[in-house]
Amino acid sequence: MATLLESLERGEIAKIDAQLAPREQELRCAYASPKLQKWLSGQLPNLGSTWKIDQTPMEQLDAYLAVYASGAILTFGHSFNPIRHVAGGVWELKTADLRVFGWFPKKDHFIGHAANLAQAIKDGNLYNGYAGEVAYFRDRLDLNDPKFIPGDNPNDVISAYRFP
Amino acid sequence: MTSFRLTVSPSRRVAGRFTLSVRRELLRALSVEHKKRGLSQADIAREIGVHRSVINRELRGHQDLTLGRVAELAYALGKQPCFTLQDQSAEAGCNVSEPRVFKHNPTSTRIEATTSAGTKL
Repeated sequence: MATLLESLERGEIAKIDAQLAPREQELRCAYASPKLQKWLSGQLPNLGSTWKIDQTPMEQLDAYLAVYASGAILTFGHSFNPIRHVAGGVWELKTADLRVFGWFPKKDHFIGHAANLAQAIKDGNLYNGYAGEVAYFRDRLDLNDPKFIPGDNPNDVISAYRFP
Repeated sequence: MTSFRLTVSPSRRVAGRFTLSVRRELLRALSVEHKKRGLSQADIAREIGVHRSVINRELRGHQDLTLGRVAELAYALGKQPCFTLQDQSAEAGCNVSEPRVFKHNPTSTRIEATTSAGTKL
């Protein structure tokens, strides 16, 4: 069994560098499986916004990751949830156009494994499929137990989640 | 240890992060005003004469916010919008400042601080 650091050193996952601004400190971490890395560098740059907004899905994810990594409050209201529990400890990170599926091995540490446009996921009803895919990868990843934080409460997986 | 970076041009990175920061500030203000006086998206929509769904799409990021709409939303939230430009940080490209080197001079009681390039601080 391995720690997160050992998994990183073995190349089983890679740390996503949020490229924070000067004087910002990384308080939350995100990692990507090899499959997600391939998708982020191969598919994501070619995607346009389904909503026809100015920011491409890639730019949306970049801005999202900067807020996430900086440790800033993630949400200000009940109708805007930037993360959502899907099933079995699998969560999705949400931008206007994008969904990234993964899990939290510990608080403020997210490992992503699959992603797609929100519209494609809704059209194909792919939520359970992606949740299963993430769980399959998680089960096979040599990581110390407990491998994930159970439950569906965002405050269990993210610190400073909601505006007081 | 491997790390991964998204390839976004510097100008588009600034644009994306700025846009999100404006939207987040509006949401923060709405949350505060909702708690303070029960202000809702429907109230804001009535105040500025659009359908509630428009406000919802704009705040969710499903529709672009124009500068004019930002000002209208600020007004409806009881705020005065303002905009400032700051010099870009001299430390662009890294997220830590240039390290300071502290040297003890044995002939003096003072400790001198310099940057790694030798510039006295």
